[in-house]
Amino acid sequence: MSSGGREARLPLDEAPAEGSVRMLDVGGHRVGLYRVDDTLYALADRCPHRGAPLCSGRVATPVEARDGLIAVGKPRSIVRCPWHKWEYEISTGRCLVDERLRVRTYAVALDGEEVVVSLDRPA
Amino acid sequence: MLIDCDIHLGYETLADLLPYLDAPTRELVVSSGTNGLAMPTYPWNHPTGWDRQDVYERGDVPSTDFVFISLDTLRERHLDAYGVDLGIVEPDEAAVFSVLPNAQLAGRLCSAYNDWLLERFLQEERRLRGMIVVPAQYPEAAAREIRRVGGHDEFIGVFLPGGARVPYGNPIYDPIWEAANELGLPVAVHTHYESVGIAGPVTAAGMPDHYVEYHTLCGSGMYGHFVSILCHGIFERFPDTRVAMVEGGLVPFVGLLWRLDTNWKACRSEIPWCRRRPSEYVWDHVRFGSQPFESPDDPQQLFAAIEFLRPWDTLLYASDFPHWDFDEPEQTLRQLPSEWRDNVRWRNAQAFFRLPAPAVV
Repeated sequence: MSSGGREARLPLDEAPAEGSVRMLDVGGHRVGLYRVDDTLYALADRCPHRGAPLCSGRVATPVEARDGLIAVGKPRSIVRCPWHKWEYEISTGRCLVDERLRVRTYAVALDGEEVVVSLDRPA
Repeated sequence: MLIDCDIHLGYETLADLLPYLDAPTRELVVSSGTNGLAMPTYPWNHPTGWDRQDVYERGDVPSTDFVFISLDTLRERHLDAYGVDLGIVEPDEAAVFSVLPNAQLAGRLCSAYNDWLLERFLQEERRLRGMIVVPAQYPEAAAREIRRVGGHDEFIGVFLPGGARVPYGNPIYDPIWEAANELGLPVAVHTHYESVGIAGPVTAAGMPDHYVEYHTLCGSGMYGHFVSILCHGIFERFPDTRVAMVEGGLVPFVGLLWRLDTNWKACRSEIPWCRRRPSEYVWDHVRFGSQPFESPDDPQQLFAAIEFLRPWDTLLYASDFPHWDFDEPEQTLRQLPSEWRDNVRWRNAQAFFRLPAPAVV
């Protein structure tokens, strides 16, 4: 991994598998890189609820009610805060229990065989 | 200066207490059941884990309800991380000893736990103080335990769980109040193990179906003890008694006191030993742990709701580390009106627990 200025780079084959996280330093910010549905996403390592290190939380599959029955949502698509267990959608940073909250998300791009995470907003 | 009135520590397994137990109890701990003596526990599980996930140290036993926290982890993740100058240790699983049907066994387990805590944590880390765990269902034995270990400077109070067979104001508990009063030790009533062992169900509605219901209602045992202590005149009969209500929230106590003050006016002849309005005893004798700090969308609504409790005098900062509903100190304290902050941060606790004045503040 290389890091400098507003971006960090790492070889594509070192990107995390679904269900795990790879921590990066992007311009002095702690960022967690995740994979959902074969797409990479980057989230700030800070829970907007109480400031916990969000990325040390477990990647999980949401449990939902659908048509009156209990069901599971997209596999390994949320991260659960390690402190108070609030859940965030990895692909958007959206908090599933408080619509006012959103985790900071970062842009992830591919440059040849490298993953580039920058402090820019995702496209 | 920061005093945290609610840190939980526990053994990894009951077998950790073996070196501190008498030989017959050791035999029971090793030989009972299938894998040794098992403690009763909640009929509900937290759906995503009881504890902060970033402090897990599961050790060799994967199925424990409460995780083992080493002294190093406690220092790194809590005492050092937040600048906690003094942390008061409340039990985890050991709180269940008070609701075991076998009261004699409970007494022996309590003694072993207190000795374990003293040797393994309190004497090793000068920033920690402990609450004495006692067999509440056997008040004479509880009083003996308070007198046995209460002289150690490392113990600064007595722990009673919310789950109980009979509310704590009842005269059967007089030996406990007498011993605590004699040693000048405050008593913390802390939500724990309602609906477990010999304790009654968490509410008279019957058993809730879900953990989220239980955790919303778990203060009910404490509310019963709170009203019982006030109505039995504990503070009249044992005038040096101080009681902390820990992890029961704040807002419910406001409604309880308003209702009790009103009822007292009409029913005073039933409890003539309560010479003063019940809330007046509270200002002198009772304090409240801050956690779980209720979180309405507009914090001002909370401050207005709890003003009657005189929180600038009665509120004690409590984190509940390492449990899942942990309240981080700076974020909790920052929400408070600035004129309350220092009192809640440490001054109220220092006075309540009668701790030496800090050399540097």
